[in-house]
Amino acid sequence: MQKKIVPGYILSENREQILNIYNLFLKFIIFSGAILSSVLIFLILLIMIFLALPFFSHEGISIFSGSWNPVSGSYGIAPMIAGTVLTAVPALIIAFPLSLGYSVFAAETGNRYLKKPAILLIRAASSIPTVVYAFAGIFIIVPLIRKIGHGGSGYSILSASLVLAVLISPTMIFFFYDSLKSVNKYTQQGALALGASKSEKVLFLLIPSAKRGIFAGVFLGLGRALGDTMISLMLAGNSASFPDSAFESARTLTAHIALVMAADYDSPEFRSVFACGIILYLITAFLSITARYIYKGRIQ
Amino acid sequence: MKKILISLLILFMFFVPNLYAEDAVEIFKGESGSLSLAGGTAHIPVLKEAAKRIMKYNHDIRITIGGGGSGVGIKKVGEGLIDIGNSGRKPSPGEISKYGLELYRWAIDGVTVVVHPSNKVNNLDTDTLKKIFSGKIKNWSKIGGSNAKINIYTRDNSSGTRKVFWKKALNKGEISPKALFISSNGAMKTAVAKDKNSIGYISIGHLDNSVKGLSLNGISPELENVKSGEYKVARGLYSNTKGEAKGLERKFIDYLYTLEGQSIIASKGFIPVKK
Amino acid sequence: MKINAASLFRLFSYFSFIFYVGVFVFFISYLFIRSDAPFSSASVFGESSFIKAVFYNEPVFEGLYPALCGTLLLVATSVLIAVPFGTGTGLWLSEFAKGRKQKVMTLLIDILSGLPSIVIGLFGFSIILIMHKIIPAKSPGFSIIVSSFSLSVLVLPYIAKSTQTAVSSLDKSLKLSGLSLGADKIENIRYILLPKAFPSILSGILLAIARCAEDTAVIMLTGAVANAGIPGSIFERFEALPFFIYYTSSEYTSENELEMAFNASVLLIFICIVLFIISYCINSIAFKRKKRVK
Repeated sequence: MQKKIVPGYILSENREQILNIYNLFLKFIIFSGAILSSVLIFLILLIMIFLALPFFSHEGISIFSGSWNPVSGSYGIAPMIAGTVLTAVPALIIAFPLSLGYSVFAAETGNRYLKKPAILLIRAASSIPTVVYAFAGIFIIVPLIRKIGHGGSGYSILSASLVLAVLISPTMIFFFYDSLKSVNKYTQQGALALGASKSEKVLFLLIPSAKRGIFAGVFLGLGRALGDTMISLMLAGNSASFPDSAFESARTLTAHIALVMAADYDSPEFRSVFACGIILYLITAFLSITARYIYKGRIQ
Repeated sequence: MKKILISLLILFMFFVPNLYAEDAVEIFKGESGSLSLAGGTAHIPVLKEAAKRIMKYNHDIRITIGGGGSGVGIKKVGEGLIDIGNSGRKPSPGEISKYGLELYRWAIDGVTVVVHPSNKVNNLDTDTLKKIFSGKIKNWSKIGGSNAKINIYTRDNSSGTRKVFWKKALNKGEISPKALFISSNGAMKTAVAKDKNSIGYISIGHLDNSVKGLSLNGISPELENVKSGEYKVARGLYSNTKGEAKGLERKFIDYLYTLEGQSIIASKGFIPVKK
Repeated sequence: MKINAASLFRLFSYFSFIFYVGVFVFFISYLFIRSDAPFSSASVFGESSFIKAVFYNEPVFEGLYPALCGTLLLVATSVLIAVPFGTGTGLWLSEFAKGRKQKVMTLLIDILSGLPSIVIGLFGFSIILIMHKIIPAKSPGFSIIVSSFSLSVLVLPYIAKSTQTAVSSLDKSLKLSGLSLGADKIENIRYILLPKAFPSILSGILLAIARCAEDTAVIMLTGAVANAGIPGSIFERFEALPFFIYYTSSEYTSENELEMAFNASVLLIFICIVLFIISYCINSIAFKRKKRVK
């Protein structure tokens, strides 16, 4: 049997088995990529649980207490959970109608020369980093809130919510736009043929038909708002207590992790952030799964 | 031609005035490697300037400076994650024995209460200060300022500045949970400078025109008062190493004790000391 | 025009359009106005100059060069790690996974893509801690390699999803053509599918690059510091543009420093927009080519 040297090929005894190392390499990458990805998701959660355990065995209950005061031994993260909810939900409430309106404009009601640039603008906007939003917010929004809020510091949940709303809008607009665009053309024509005006078609046919996509977009937007760090870190003031008003400062779970990490490690305080990480992980996983379920229509 | 050039060069070297004693940096001649520092944020302006001069002199040395607060500095150097840990408070006996730290103090500093320059208040006594920071007094008008809410700014738990302030100025009084959290001396100064109704505390070395330092019980936060001991909220700036400092770390600390190092320390607003 | 719910809604959509356009135009121009010659040598190299900093290794203070280098090195390393595994996963999803396996994997990827970046940063930090406990002498600690690894976890879903979409949207006849000529699955992928899907995959990679360049939360916990000079190796701490913006915004001591932060913002936006434009162009060229072939 000739042992021909062909680059990359290893001729084995059985001529049928020609192994090309490059192809082998490709195969390796494909399968190890898949294995790695699936392992990673669980690994992240498991490591956090592992590192948070010592905390739970020592301090345990105090994590659910209402105050965060490491000096006196209370590691309650309830104020931070409140902070997260109180910045994300208002952001969603502000962003949702406006995003819906914009996506309707880009999909249907807009001037035909403006439609394409409209969606292009949003795609470009989605590549703007959150830290830049937050940075601009410090100089544009915070002084404004300070004036309106009669002498508060300006660093408040309102400031954070406003900027957060702008952040999550592109994500939601995409989703809404896609769903609106994919409503059956014939159904649309049918509605028009039955006497509906264009506006009526939009409001009474397109939006209800795109319900699934709209819900999914909302969940995704909420996930993004809950998971953002920089905006709340730089704009919400980071006081570790329940805010009494929209003009007061608060701390979100994400900002809390960032702050504690920068300032400490290897203490009960530090280990409590892993608990925050676990909570964030579970909430966003739940939102992702739900969004997917709504969009696809079945649980898989 | 060559001879003329050489003699001109020698003459030139004699006549160019030596602006400041560059000798101190020369202890780094021929060295190479990297040095990592982290911890107290009050130290940063001094260390940054020192690092700048050293790295300009010797391109083979890399010095990185991080913040995080005194607590972080002590822990990180104790765990061997960094070379020098800075702290704005003396490490506790427990910390010293747990990590085997060697302390090197190179400045005396104080902690002062600061407010916005436009604030009418100039002086506070300990009792009022405690009431403000615990949240009992909520409005500036109650103590002679304008009618506005008092916005409290504080530091995180790792901060040495905070610990000294809490212990010596507040007499271990409570700090309201509604206070806004700031992560370094520099950031505190920026925050107070931007907010008309703010109150916070920073290292005296950081004091400048953008904020106003309040007198405490009638004693103004000036270096002379810290030196004389009248201003009681004082602390040392330490650079700590795990075990005896050697190599680059030793040289860096020695540099801080030289005339040039001490002039940098003084120029940044601290009182230089040697050990 | 009738005044009813529908037409009011139409009006509202116009309003939303104007609102968002106004917001974005306003805040981008604000950043530009407050920056000061962001692309100039003074902004990047400070007192030094391009030649001195790059060729003579003179340290740059008061300039964005170290942060730029840090970001560049970080992105390059992250892409090196993320691209193989991301495209591998995407290929597996589109070519090798059937039914249940594919659905489960897609779900897992979705969860991963929804995780907050700070959680991934926390994961990266946990790796540092664990390595420090197991191999204290050799553990890298805060470094580019750990940040890159964390960033690649962050962008893995993007690359995987775009690869999967790119490959599965290829013409079915194309996929069968290779197989019918006797190639096995891998050869089919290598010689037929990948080259065809390459532009779309590339545009996905470009977007992932933009994500790596802009993320702050992950690098904050795994290696970015405020002062580090040019990174000497991937095992050292580093500076980065987004972290510089965050850090300066909270403690700037002079108008100069603040201006540098505005410059950094402009530079960062510029990098991201450029990547986006390239990615968009590649996509539209590929789309046009596809149309032409048909």
